[in-house]
Amino acid sequence: MSEAGSILKDNLWSNNPIFMQVLGICSALAVTNLLVNTMIMAIGVIFVMAMTNLTVSIIKGLMPRKVRMMVQTLIIAFYVIIVDLLLRAYLPDISRALGPYVGLIITNCIIMGRAEAFAQSNPPLISMWDGATSGFGYMAVLLAIAFFRELLGFGTLFGIQVFPDAFVPWTIMVTPPSAFFLLGFIIWIGKTIMNREGAPA
Amino acid sequence: MNKQSLIYTVIFTFLVSFVFVTVLAFANEATREQVRLNQELARQRAILNALNIDYGGPEDVQAKFDGVKVVERNGTELYQAQKEDYLVVAKEFSGSGLWGTIRGILAVQEDMDRTIGLEILEHNETPGLGGRIDEPWFKQQFRDLRIVDGTIEVGDAGEGDEDKENGEIDAITGATRTSDAMRVILSNELSAFQSILGGNS
Repeated sequence: MSEAGSILKDNLWSNNPIFMQVLGICSALAVTNLLVNTMIMAIGVIFVMAMTNLTVSIIKGLMPRKVRMMVQTLIIAFYVIIVDLLLRAYLPDISRALGPYVGLIITNCIIMGRAEAFAQSNPPLISMWDGATSGFGYMAVLLAIAFFRELLGFGTLFGIQVFPDAFVPWTIMVTPPSAFFLLGFIIWIGKTIMNREGAPA
Repeated sequence: MNKQSLIYTVIFTFLVSFVFVTVLAFANEATREQVRLNQELARQRAILNALNIDYGGPEDVQAKFDGVKVVERNGTELYQAQKEDYLVVAKEFSGSGLWGTIRGILAVQEDMDRTIGLEILEHNETPGLGGRIDEPWFKQQFRDLRIVDGTIEVGDAGEGDEDKENGEIDAITGATRTSDAMRVILSNELSAFQSILGGNS
């Protein structure tokens, strides 16, 4: 398998940032009660992660070791603020719904993890690819959680009513604790399948 | 040049910060006007909603809003609109909800006989629970609701109080404290209206 292909498989499945590395949990709990918000948040993370990895990889040769994490944080913050400005200017409703969570992309440890573990020692384009695919892995898990939370908590999917009016929404699905349970289930299912495949867990 | 030396580190850090911050400053400048317009539009929409004035697209919002008189009475800014046989005044309010400040617009008839509408500008209540103060069914309860004894009572949790004469709204299921906070905020708001308008009810 090509390098790009194996990175894709790694980041989506065998080394998925959320259910294998268990990173980025904070936002997985916070923004997953509506699919639309989750989608926008995940796209934001994908963009920030790809661009951060690209930038870090380009300037890695110039970076003094002592300040490299500081510079990585600066780069991440830079792209997050760009995303925040774009949302505020062109998608004000979504910006309002996401509230403080966009700013909190900065603290998403998947991004810094990939910058430090991958971009710091690989060429630019493949680093960008690694960042984007890590983001896809993150998005896949978040969307799975959001699917169940929105369906059971509101009776809707992407805001479209799918359950009849008689359906009583599960209040707990709307609040963050439900994401904990769902995340637990996803990790459980993921690891079980992985063990069955004989891959090292 | 030695990339690990102190001088290189300082210069590198300074330059990197300078470049990124400069780009951000320009990005902020470029989107500022759009962001301001969005906020202005959101506010005008909220005021029109509260005053029970229908509107279409952004231009229509502007046109309708121009028909609303902004007056100052007893040091408070009020938005005033003439209906067929009575005058409606709206005013911005803010108060503490469960998690943070709730800001919004409340409109009443000038003789304090009925509330005309409620609109929420900003809140940090739990999405899906207290956050439902932002939903149409909740706000609809304030349309032409009679004010009894100068206050609004919050009854049992429900799906919207249809009775417009009892001075009562339904609380939100699972959001007792947000509902209670709204009761306090709105009572204060009505007293404020009372003293500004020198009400005669």
